[in-house]
Amino acid sequence: MGTDLAFDALADPVRRQILGVLAASTECSAGEIAEQISRVGRTAVSSHLRVLKTSGLVTERRDGRYRLYALDPAGPARDVLAFLHELFAATLDDVRVAAQTDAMPERGRATRRAQ
Amino acid sequence: MFALALAAEQTVEATPEAVFALFGAGAGAGWVFDATCDRVATGSVVTMRAPFGGAGGDVEILGRITRIRFPQEIVVAHDLPWRGRLRVVFDAAPGGGTRVRLIADLDADGLEWLMRRRGWPVPEEPPPDAHPVGLLTSKSGSGSVFASATENVARLAVEEINADGGIHGRPIRLVVGDDATDVEVGAGEARRLVRAGCRAILATTTSATFARVQREIASTGVLLVHTLMNEGGRGGDLLFQLGERPQDQLRAAIGPLMRESGGRRAFLVGNDYCWPQIVHACARREIARRSGHVVGEGLAPLGSRDFEPMIERILASRADLVVSAFVGADAVAFERQCHAMGLRDRARTLVLALDEPTRERIGDRAAAGLWAVSGYFAELPGEANATFLARYRAAYGRWAPPVSSISESTYEALHLYAAAARNARDDEPRSVSRGLRGRHGFPRGTVTLSGPETFRQDLYLARATAEGFEIVSTSCQCDVTY
Repeated sequence: MGTDLAFDALADPVRRQILGVLAASTECSAGEIAEQISRVGRTAVSSHLRVLKTSGLVTERRDGRYRLYALDPAGPARDVLAFLHELFAATLDDVRVAAQTDAMPERGRATRRAQ
Repeated sequence: MFALALAAEQTVEATPEAVFALFGAGAGAGWVFDATCDRVATGSVVTMRAPFGGAGGDVEILGRITRIRFPQEIVVAHDLPWRGRLRVVFDAAPGGGTRVRLIADLDADGLEWLMRRRGWPVPEEPPPDAHPVGLLTSKSGSGSVFASATENVARLAVEEINADGGIHGRPIRLVVGDDATDVEVGAGEARRLVRAGCRAILATTTSATFARVQREIASTGVLLVHTLMNEGGRGGDLLFQLGERPQDQLRAAIGPLMRESGGRRAFLVGNDYCWPQIVHACARREIARRSGHVVGEGLAPLGSRDFEPMIERILASRADLVVSAFVGADAVAFERQCHAMGLRDRARTLVLALDEPTRERIGDRAAAGLWAVSGYFAELPGEANATFLARYRAAYGRWAPPVSSISESTYEALHLYAAAARNARDDEPRSVSRGLRGRHGFPRGTVTLSGPETFRQDLYLARATAEGFEIVSTSCQCDVTY
């Protein structure tokens, strides 16, 4: 459910920025998110979080007096961002293996290739 | 512009210089570092083959290096399949070695493209207070190479039309579909554009997709316009075909090339669908008319990347002229392999769909000396073209993909559509299509549309150089009615 709403929710740049913050962490409070988004205030962040929650992109969990937000594991944003993250992590593993296999002969090339 | 940044990192036991040097070296260092890139330098084009898996297979990310700081940073901006930026950042790790970070910047359209590619359904709501027009193009698959600048150019035309009052007081809203250079995906995307309220669809896709889309939406009463070079033959009340016709391209090119090569042995190659097949049929006639003969023919399905056996056959045939109807990434792979296997020294090659982005991805060295023939090259003189190019660069910057006959055709189609829609008494496709005739001045020069597939324009024969194209000759006002 909520996929139509998800696309509407993405139309706003602040909401995309919030998703970016959440993609880089497991859970955040509204205050922590607001600290990383300078252009709007705390109240605006809260109302954007409400839209993201209704549209199925973000989940909310109570922890004592805090509400913690995370990308909805069943939502399209989590799916796409987790998928991309996995592609990146895998390709960086390949870089590590390649660099460590032939790091020494690469040095000569490194100087030559620098432009 | 990019609101969402996604990052991953890894520590590598090697110096930043050594890790940096792996980029573009083809050293088996994963899909990002194994990017196809002739020179690791600012301005160079790069292609990364991301293993997306699933039904669609790998996704080719077409980008360009926009910033290099050795050995700290490589920045790649890409327009396809989605618009974004990929930064590779190298710094010394505290415990020794190098920390490598990959940071991807995405915008809303990019997220949307990715969600759709991952199979999430999308809403199709006709936009309120706007005049929706569909653009069906290839944002992925082989066609994304020739279609690189299409969406940019279309948005430029829409901005101009809307700044001029839109259509009957409402702005045009462009709804973009990606056929992934696949006929069935194209049919599905065309249906989506119709559901999104589009009463006109401009298709900048292969003829294979266009033919399938024509059948798919025949009963919907939507106006369908094929903008780029095509074989014609489908025109009707609600179906217009602009673009160059193979007969005209070949008539303008075969004579000069046979004179230039001094030989009469031609080999025909291309992708295996309707347009290349008709190109080959026309080429046989034109070559026979000039007392040459066809010594061989090779067809390969769209999406082919290995052409070595076919090139061996061409070399063995002792052909001195190769006529290619390969398109997009297939044309890129074919020409790069021809260059590597020494075919350039043995034969002249005419590539009917060779345009600026295709030339650039074949590479400055491998493309030099190839022949192209079409109604537009960025090098054309004239005020209209100079203004068009200046506006394009002002809007999208110096690193945006270059415009070509293929993307410029979308610009023309939008302006033709807007002119007709403004004169029509209502927004009904039939009313608009009746006004889709006349003589217009465009970046390519004067064009005349006098019937559903009767489109006159000048054609230019050009030779690819390391920088672009050198226009060699002009054939005036080809009439494409047969």
